[in-house]
Amino acid sequence: MSSVDLRVEIAGLELANPVMTASGTFASGREFADFVDLSRLGAIVTKGVSLVPWEGNPSPRMAETASGMLNSIGLQNPGVEAFRERDLAWLAGSVPGLPVIVNVSGHDLAGYVGVIEALEDEPGVSGYELNISCPNVDAGGMAFGTDCAAAAEVTAACRAVTARPLIVKLSPNVTDIVSVARSVEAAGADAVSLINTLLGMAIDTSSFRPKLARVVGGLSGPAIKPVAVRMVWQVASAVEIPVIGMGGIMTADDAIEFMLAGATAVAVGTANFVDPTSTVRIVDGLAEFCHAHGVGCVSDLVGAVDVS
Amino acid sequence: MTTGHDCACAHRAVPPALENVTVVANERLAEGVGLLVLDAPRAASSVAPGQFVHLRVARGADFLLRRPFSVHRAHGERIEILYQVLGTGTRALADKAPGDRMDLLGPLGTGWSIPEGIAHALLVAGGLGAAPLGMLAEELAGRGVAVTVAAGAPCEERLIGRELFERVARRFVPATDDGSCGARGLVTGVCEPLLAEGSFDMVYTCGPEVMQRIVAVQSASADVPCQVSLERLMACGIGACLSCVVRTTRGVRRACVDGPVFPAEEVLWDPAESPDTH
Repeated sequence: MSSVDLRVEIAGLELANPVMTASGTFASGREFADFVDLSRLGAIVTKGVSLVPWEGNPSPRMAETASGMLNSIGLQNPGVEAFRERDLAWLAGSVPGLPVIVNVSGHDLAGYVGVIEALEDEPGVSGYELNISCPNVDAGGMAFGTDCAAAAEVTAACRAVTARPLIVKLSPNVTDIVSVARSVEAAGADAVSLINTLLGMAIDTSSFRPKLARVVGGLSGPAIKPVAVRMVWQVASAVEIPVIGMGGIMTADDAIEFMLAGATAVAVGTANFVDPTSTVRIVDGLAEFCHAHGVGCVSDLVGAVDVS
Repeated sequence: MTTGHDCACAHRAVPPALENVTVVANERLAEGVGLLVLDAPRAASSVAPGQFVHLRVARGADFLLRRPFSVHRAHGERIEILYQVLGTGTRALADKAPGDRMDLLGPLGTGWSIPEGIAHALLVAGGLGAAPLGMLAEELAGRGVAVTVAAGAPCEERLIGRELFERVARRFVPATDDGSCGARGLVTGVCEPLLAEGSFDMVYTCGPEVMQRIVAVQSASADVPCQVSLERLMACGIGACLSCVVRTTRGVRRACVDGPVFPAEEVLWDPAESPDTH
């Protein structure tokens, strides 16, 4: 299968294959090193990093639902300094050459910009993904991603401080995701990634209590895949910049659906929790699919859905 | 404040792995309580007392995630898992028959610490809390540590793990809600006078969180170090998802890799698990 070319390009960044990790489902890779040859990933997208440590939300933070799970982790992270010392240093030493996209989180504009400024001199960072779509924090997060002007403002502010690839991760919890995608494209985003989790809720009928301490949380997993594929298709049809598709990808076939809908690359999220080898299994499956279908370059699949 | 990943995490002799395992036996021990025996050579040879395995009990819409189970015993190529039927996952487990295959991830987590030189350990089990204490009792006895087990259950039939504990422990002290075996009342009621005897140098406990919290207080009063094993909902089991966090004096830690066993004095107990609210 060496004849299949799996390479894709996102904002000038060449990836060996289209399979990335979805932020928050893969930590910074270290936890998966027992299971996965990390150098086989297209790119790693780190857990969200903020300027100062965030403690996250109260427990319970997770509830399983039909074909999915709700989470309200709340972007718990040790802050950009600890991230640099522990995670980036580990990645540079253990998986040199692996493209590292840092997911950037903030409560306000200065928070996002501050994280990028703190990492601009780090040679181990390949690009940034702005998290303007986390439903589990009170300030920042999704508040930026559900308003076109706010989304454009945070994108422009970050664009002004970095020349590195800048990906903006979009929220599905909007009436019109295309208009948000167009706004961040106009503000200087190099790519968009979608979808983040869908806001959801589950209730324990024996206690009458919500299953999450924070009452509502983000739904992920196979349950959301059709919504995600639809949004990727709509956005990819409307913007010029590449789209990174995600939302319930468990198999190579799921990944191919996203690429046919218009995604240049894909991210694997909840599947990592079920099978820690999901990412490489999907890389292998993509190659097998292309081989079996006579597709020479995986990028030929991008947007190839036939809606005629 | 420290959050998230602690560099001093999990000292593991053997890294976890995915293993295709086979059901050898699935025995009903009491109403809603079962013992599952799995042929799992890799896990059996590498699991340490207090660690757990993460099982994909079934496939389908209700079974996206794995379910974590303590390893009760490991012998030869087999591991034993005690379970209580509480939800869809454990109901599916109860339906398993010899020959059924399952996907196991493990062994996972940081188990019980057995310091050099301890002479007499008190193990306090509440209900299915006996699960991670079985292997520990065997390990301690094998090292020549004297073991006393205090176990609580609603009734004699539900004193899970009794046979093993009676075999390896110097003393087995039961407590039942209905008085059908041992003292009538809670296990914490028999724990306190045992600690007052002053012969223990370590307490290991597992059971309902409120019970563990009381045992921790009793141990501290008796000036005996105590280890607790905490149960949390978890998704990945390997430290990535941050669902299973425990608040401790050392920051927010992960039950799946930093625990499930924690030194009791480090745990910042959830106010909802206060003895006053039960």
